[in-house]
Amino acid sequence: MTLILGPCCRQHARRFFTASKPTVWTARSFATEVPSSVEEFDVVIVGGGPAGLALATALASSKPILDTTSIALIEAGDLARVRNWSQPSGTFSNRVSSITNISQGFLDSIGAWAHVENSRVAKLEDMQVWDGLSDARIEFSASELRSLSGSGRVPQIAHMTENLNLQRGLLHRLNDFPSVKLLDNVKVDDIKAEEGDKGGWPTLKLSDGKTLRTRLLVGADGFNSPVKKYAGIRTYGWAYDTHAVVATMFHSPPFPGTPLTAYQRFLPTGPIAFLPLSDTAASLVWSTKPHLAAALKATHPDMINAAFRLPDTSMKVLYDVLLDTKSQVTPEEMAETIRWREESHGIAPLSSLSSIEAGGSAAVGGYGGEADMPPLVTAIQPGSVAGFPLRLSHAEVYIGEGAGARTALVGDAAHTIHPLAGQGLNMGLADVQALSKCIENAVQLGADIGSRTALLPYPRARYFENHKLLSATDKLHKLYETTFPPVVWARSAGLEVINELESVKSVLMMNAGRGGEASSLWDVAAAGVEGVSRAVHSAEAVARGVGNLGMALIQNALRK
Amino acid sequence: MRISRRLLSAAASASTANPSEIAFFSRLSQQWWDESGEFAFLHRMNPVRVGYIRDKILATIEDEAPTPAQGRETVRALGPRPLAGLDILDVGCGGGLLCESLARLGGRTLGIDASSSNVAIATLHASQDPRLSGSTPSSNERPQPLEYKHTTSEELLASGASRPQFDVVCSMEVLEHVDHPDKFLRSCADLVKPGGHLFLSTISRTPLSQFLTITMAENILGLVSRGTHDHTKYVKPSELVQFFSDELGWIRRPSNGSPGNLPFDQAELRGMAYLPWAGKWILSPRGAPMELDCNYLFWARKPKTPQ
Ligand SMILES: Cc1cc2nc3c(=O)[nH]c(=O)nc-3n(C[C@H](O)[C@H](O)[C@H](O)COP(=O)(O)OP(=O)(O)OC[C@H]3O[C@@H](n4cnc5c(N)ncnc54)[C@H](O)[C@@H]3O)c2cc1C
Repeated sequence: MTLILGPCCRQHARRFFTASKPTVWTARSFATEVPSSVEEFDVVIVGGGPAGLALATALASSKPILDTTSIALIEAGDLARVRNWSQPSGTFSNRVSSITNISQGFLDSIGAWAHVENSRVAKLEDMQVWDGLSDARIEFSASELRSLSGSGRVPQIAHMTENLNLQRGLLHRLNDFPSVKLLDNVKVDDIKAEEGDKGGWPTLKLSDGKTLRTRLLVGADGFNSPVKKYAGIRTYGWAYDTHAVVATMFHSPPFPGTPLTAYQRFLPTGPIAFLPLSDTAASLVWSTKPHLAAALKATHPDMINAAFRLPDTSMKVLYDVLLDTKSQVTPEEMAETIRWREESHGIAPLSSLSSIEAGGSAAVGGYGGEADMPPLVTAIQPGSVAGFPLRLSHAEVYIGEGAGARTALVGDAAHTIHPLAGQGLNMGLADVQALSKCIENAVQLGADIGSRTALLPYPRARYFENHKLLSATDKLHKLYETTFPPVVWARSAGLEVINELESVKSVLMMNAGRGGEASSLWDVAAAGVEGVSRAVHSAEAVARGVGNLGMALIQNALRK
Repeated sequence: MRISRRLLSAAASASTANPSEIAFFSRLSQQWWDESGEFAFLHRMNPVRVGYIRDKILATIEDEAPTPAQGRETVRALGPRPLAGLDILDVGCGGGLLCESLARLGGRTLGIDASSSNVAIATLHASQDPRLSGSTPSSNERPQPLEYKHTTSEELLASGASRPQFDVVCSMEVLEHVDHPDKFLRSCADLVKPGGHLFLSTISRTPLSQFLTITMAENILGLVSRGTHDHTKYVKPSELVQFFSDELGWIRRPSNGSPGNLPFDQAELRGMAYLPWAGKWILSPRGAPMELDCNYLFWARKPKTPQ
């Protein structure tokens, strides 16, 4: 049913008024002389990261927008280096993202995917996720995805690729649109709203002395977004007491025919992920406590292998060895410690649980032997280790108001998320898709695309979607971070239930489907996570109520 | 026969100006461009009105092309400037909301208003936009001609030897405020070129509109200032149809007398509804209950040859 509401509008004023002397007004009669050094644009995008470049490309590839709209993008870094980026085959940049099928479809629709170097894209077919304390495990595969979505073949869960491969592809696609101005090696120093009766349009001062005035200012400028500050938009969230260590890892090739698999183990210090890039290389994302992350930057393959395999109690011992500043451990000593820990856990040297590569049997044993563990890492690409602080953040709104009007935020400027679900960049691309669609509609209605009315559909399409994803990922992070026994119990029990529940699988397979399936999949997923987190709360309450004895009974009963 | 009486009695009244209403709206005109203020509803409604005007004009182009393929090609070629080449008049332009959109869509647009402060506000606002003022065209596009004039439709009609004639005349949310609807409609109609389009939007005179636009919007929710509306001035769709068929001869009388059943190439009535959960206005689905009982759009085509 549609509700019919009175408009209350009146455009006023009467025709039968006799104007003494009709005056013709044109906008020119008012036009304030804009200093000639000021360049005017319809859209200025600050930030040439994946989100900013994708937005420039999406806007330019829409004919109605391109025909009516002048576009500029400002990036502090050197875009020529990205455009000409190349890396010897077999080696990889350490900033890697999993691109969901939905994101990939969007990049394809704006003509950018064709410019993403295919040989540097890995199609992820399978994912193994398990709990570091209980070993409860879930597996997703692209074949399940088909049955889950019920329509059509989806040959992969996601595409793994380097952010640089994507950014370079976007820049190459932008070559098709010479009217889009790319201003790089230049910083936005200051943004001000025009004063007086000039309409309050955002005016940017650049580090090279230029001044730009724009109808719409888009912040694709990352977490410390200057556009967000200008717009006076506050951010909710907190820094996790966690850093992510990233690196490019090498390993022996798998058996032919083994599906390309990602692995993620949830340790109490945070998840460690092995994301395949090719048959012999993978990207590491190891989220852990900041002091450990710092120590791990000098990490050795054995330590990574151990982190996927050794029980948590032994990992704690390894952390202590690593952090012991008095005795600088050599890689050999570390390997010895790991071997000793394995023996004490009864892990056979050639089993898939063994972290130490057995000399001479690299072809078989070196892969780890079975598909439930990632291949053994044999080396780390020099210079590829880096660390990033992780935080949850969400801008309170996506479009500015009042003195900060004519602004919109996309990508990390609007939200940052724990990388455990591999969604940060995908959320940014979904923002870009929604914002460019919104601008396309507005242009076709002759709207002022900087106006609040024109921009409103954008946050309506994205804010709640992003919020659900942020809060579910945050809950997952917290759920796995704890060592409190009843929570661990609930978690492992939950995980085993999860194994049956397709809903929670889709948390990590978010947007893995095609087109409109994403949101419905996600709704189920969000409901699933809420359920698990409620279970944890009640488990905590029960544990407090019945005390230690009761808890031991519960645990015994569970162990059977 | 109701409309005739109404129109006649309005015409009989001595005064044609209404200074108290003009003063009232001049106060409001500062707030014209505050999208979250008193005119928020109007800002939200604007895209529906613009979309309706655009689609109607494009549909006419398609219908009148020698072949459907040529029609589609003409429309395609217009691209994001569907109103290119058309002279458009907006009567009662207020702060210029509709005018700016029509100008961006390519129309050579003239906005007129009886309130000089409205005209000043509209002009000032357009001057801030380089695409409308042509102050600095940093793009490849020629700036759009957009003009405002402090005048009324009657004066415009009377002024000069060359009678102004427009391809499209619009008057949105004005009819319900005028004292002499018959004169007003006649002047608008006379400003339309033969074969041109007239678009009106207004509010019907029903218990529903009384409740929504006055009881709710003014008195309870305070969405608009009290005194904005005078229910007795609202015009019913059937009254408009009757005027355009009997008085102006633009429309063949609907076969079954129902205003919802007009000859598709001569006139159309469409209701507009606000969807609070989506925060936007839509064209009501055709035939929805009470479709035309509150806000509605009226489109009519002036015959190519005098009737
Ligand atoms: C360890 C890790 C793993 C991740 N894994 C995944 C994954 O698997 N999948 C996924 O989807 N996402 C992942 N993400 C998230 C993803 O990397 C980010 O969401 C994405 O890079 C954000 O892109 P962006 O364009 O919004 O911002 P950024 O990449 O931060 O770009 C902002 C740009 O703005 C420029 N800039 C800022 N200020 C100014 C200024 N004043 N003047 C000019 N230019 C300026 C900067 O130079 C920069 O280029 C991961 C993140 C981390 C940390």
